[in-house]
Amino acid sequence: MELLQFDFMQRALVAGLITALVCPLIGIFVVVRRQAMIGDGLGHIAFAGIMGGYVLNIYPTFVAALVTMLGAGGIEFVRRKHIRYADTSLAIFFYSGIALAVIFSSMAKVPGNGIIGVLFGSILTVTATDLWLIGACALLVLAVMARCFYKLMLMSFDEEVAKVAGINTAVVGVVFSMMTALVVVVGMRIVGILLVSSLMIIPVAASQLLRVGFKATLGWAVVFSVISVWGGLVLSFYLDIAPGGTIVMMAVAIYLLLLVGADGLLFKWLKPRRVNPVSGQER
Amino acid sequence: MYDISIKEVNFSYGDNAVLKNLSLSIAAGDFVAMVGPNGAGKSTLLKMVAGLIKPDSGLVQIAGKDVPTACAAGNMGYVPQHYAQNTVGFPATVEEIVALGLYSRHGRKMKREGERHVVSHMLELVGMQDLRTRLVGELSGGQQQRVMVARALAINPGILLLDEPTSGVDYDTGTKLYGLLGELNRNLGITIIAVSHDIDKVIRVANKVACINNGVCFYGESTEFRHNHIGAPHLFPYQPQ
Repeated sequence: MELLQFDFMQRALVAGLITALVCPLIGIFVVVRRQAMIGDGLGHIAFAGIMGGYVLNIYPTFVAALVTMLGAGGIEFVRRKHIRYADTSLAIFFYSGIALAVIFSSMAKVPGNGIIGVLFGSILTVTATDLWLIGACALLVLAVMARCFYKLMLMSFDEEVAKVAGINTAVVGVVFSMMTALVVVVGMRIVGILLVSSLMIIPVAASQLLRVGFKATLGWAVVFSVISVWGGLVLSFYLDIAPGGTIVMMAVAIYLLLLVGADGLLFKWLKPRRVNPVSGQER
Repeated sequence: MYDISIKEVNFSYGDNAVLKNLSLSIAAGDFVAMVGPNGAGKSTLLKMVAGLIKPDSGLVQIAGKDVPTACAAGNMGYVPQHYAQNTVGFPATVEEIVALGLYSRHGRKMKREGERHVVSHMLELVGMQDLRTRLVGELSGGQQQRVMVARALAINPGILLLDEPTSGVDYDTGTKLYGLLGELNRNLGITIIAVSHDIDKVIRVANKVACINNGVCFYGESTEFRHNHIGAPHLFPYQPQ
């Protein structure tokens, strides 16, 4: 494989694989909790963090991780305090992030192509330091999610039931928001701030079309996510087009394929046989 | 065995006093039908017993302990009213939903093999064994309700709380569900409180009735309630003596 001869492609493929693994893990809960826009909101806050890093002359991705986690905690806090205005509070965080990013970028005099890289991703410029940070964030997310998976599943199904089961839903909610923030920062380098939530949402939306159980949905979402990221990277390398957009369009193509074929052969193969308990007939 | 003690509880939504100095003592193993007009405070009281709402004043105790302790010990199963909103689009099979009942603040309660056994037993109990691999969102209202009951029972609770378990299901399904709850109460000795508007159905299986209206409560034998009130035009609002 020609593309594996290049160091930047090797780093891109590893960073892409890590991202493809953690995005659906967070994404499945984001989707079932009906918070599909949270990734976009956090992406805007991460944008402010990156630009803030340039102003402070501190490693921008690290500053973005801190700022986005703080923002995520804030969003969850406001969401719980003012549940009726949850979407409004998200929008306020959203706009504040963008506004601060604009201010910081003017202060730091960040060049236009630097901003474009943040907005649309620059996976081909992933450095070894980026890779370590992405890996560390992903490990933390995996460890926390392994511990909270069933609590989050119960909370996502019904928060009142989770409370009666003795789960501290406020704490788990804040922890989940912070993990979402970390995944946004991880995914930001791959597809950019504007498209980062697509890797959390689209593979999960595609696997939901298979109408299988929760864990199976997550498993398929990871498969679709890896295919999208690696397929998109390879395609963009040979076609010489933007990798971020290509990755997302790969995910969209998988979604559309399943949307059209969900009731066809693929669906019949994946779906377990169902028997009507009354008539005894298959359906 | 878990008895429930509610002592001089008051609760208001703003200026609207819903529960006024309400006291109730539910013995272990009772099946209580909680009835009353809309807005009387039935669901509020049920949520108080579940630990979801704190009273403005007064005390709720489960087997002599406060509610959070009882919840943390896994003594309570709860079936909320609006579960159907959650099942739509939630990609989980019947088995996975029932297994959720085994998860608490301590995470998974048992190993995979034990979990499989409990889930299978619960589904058998509610007659849903054949539909275990189906997505819960694809089931009928009555089937979903049975799954919710199985989930609430999975943790082997001493108390089962149900908020309008037959809302949105047809007459026959509702009757069957209450029949099932009656069996569970008799055979397993679970204390059950069911908030319901289906008075005629629920008091056939409940041995006690708590009728809440204007913030106060009539509490007595279901036979007495049936004798005095069923079919009577003065059933609601109930005016306590």
